[in-house]
Amino acid sequence: MITLGSQGKNTFLDDVNVKSGANVLECYQCGKCVSTCPVSQYMDFPPREIMQMIKLGLRNECYMANSHWFCLTCSACSGRCPREIDIPAVMEAVRHLAIDQNYINDSKKVKEIRKFHEIFLDMIKRYGRNYELRMMAEFNIRTRNLFKDMHLAPKALLKGKIPLGVKPLKSAKAIKRMFAIAEKLEKNK
Amino acid sequence: MKKLTYFPGCSAHGTSEEFDSTLKLVLKTLDVELEDIPDWNCCGATSAHVMTENLAYALPMRNLVLAEKLENTTMGIACASCYQRMKVTKVHMDENPELAKRINTTVVEEGTYQGTVDVKSMLQYAYEDIGLETIKSKVTKPLTGLKVACYYGCLLTRPKNITKFDSPEYPVSMDQICEALGATATEFDYKTECCGASFSISNTEVVENLSGQILAMAKESGAHAIVVACPLCQSNLDMRQPDIEKIQGVKYDIPIFYFTQLMALAFGYPIDQLKFPKHIVPVEGALANIGKVEPVPEKVKKPIKAVEAESEVK
Repeated sequence: MITLGSQGKNTFLDDVNVKSGANVLECYQCGKCVSTCPVSQYMDFPPREIMQMIKLGLRNECYMANSHWFCLTCSACSGRCPREIDIPAVMEAVRHLAIDQNYINDSKKVKEIRKFHEIFLDMIKRYGRNYELRMMAEFNIRTRNLFKDMHLAPKALLKGKIPLGVKPLKSAKAIKRMFAIAEKLEKNK
Repeated sequence: MKKLTYFPGCSAHGTSEEFDSTLKLVLKTLDVELEDIPDWNCCGATSAHVMTENLAYALPMRNLVLAEKLENTTMGIACASCYQRMKVTKVHMDENPELAKRINTTVVEEGTYQGTVDVKSMLQYAYEDIGLETIKSKVTKPLTGLKVACYYGCLLTRPKNITKFDSPEYPVSMDQICEALGATATEFDYKTECCGASFSISNTEVVENLSGQILAMAKESGAHAIVVACPLCQSNLDMRQPDIEKIQGVKYDIPIFYFTQLMALAFGYPIDQLKFPKHIVPVEGALANIGKVEPVPEKVKKPIKAVEAESEVK
């Protein structure tokens, strides 16, 4: 479904361009991004198709695709793009818009990726720093996959590769407040 | 003595503790004094910018503001992810004062962002500020005979308009540092391919696929070991290596070193200070190559000389 604005204007294209600072219209569909992207094989639509979908104003389809969740922001595509478009910024813009407007891709993989990022942010909110062991444990519990990577645990723990604790920040309160203000800013957008 | 503001990053107290401690050894030899940012916080790494724009800028900005209060104007960052988030924040804030002002409202207690601190990765600092000549002059135990594939990953040189360091496609800074230490850097085509980064936990099969390709290419280049400057690359290539070997049915046995570990080794630090027992893939096999003289080049040279000598006689 093509969603155009009131005067036949592609509002989705405008939203993405404003948020990303890129100009998606400059894409001439050469496909170099697809051949460069290390994860394009896992995406519903590879970057080139996402660019075209934005040009066509396919807002819902873009939001619901898993592509922007799989983007690793490695910037290989933008480095080779002959039009020098910041494709990772475009992917990020689509993702942020989708999160803001509560579009939820409920495939298992996307759910897990999202859960991981939420737990990571939760660790920072709580301790000011990342608590690696707890993050891994919470991920396994919250994705109901208790034994994931358990075969690595004895070696990693014995060798001291992953420490048992974390030194929380002295100014942990400042971080908590920062999260509160940032969340408020996000809501008032 | 040079001074440098230091941002260790969360993994320096965790999975990449060996990077942090060997970096400190190396900088002691190179006469650089590190000053930690007081009460630094996590940069938010991948997750903050994936989920929200405000926190993605606010978390690094707090560290930048705290660093501005210190005397030094250069911040050195060990972790490549932290480096990129810090640098992206700095570049975007300097380009867009309005955005900086808005983000600054979330970072209040610490002060106002001014943009006076320069951000560098430790690799960049070693290459640009210390220099190959100085590094060479400190080598007491050259790593002759050790062949390494230098793996930069995606964050140290890309995007080029943000990092403004080395080449985004085929960087050479780490190769040149390793050569200065006496090692041989192999022709390695996967220098800047992504290892799967933050998918290590949430999407392991992607990491196993991507890191597997990097290991295969390194092996093909003839390297005994891979050298990295990023904690995430190290843990993906090292910790996941046994699983990758099982999936691919190949035995790699390629240890993954931080470039600072090799520097400390060449600077003459005893092996028990380099934290090699923390590695999942044992390092002894690769290190046994140090000091071995390869017979191959001599064999190639001899017949050419013989032919020349014969032609002269004639």
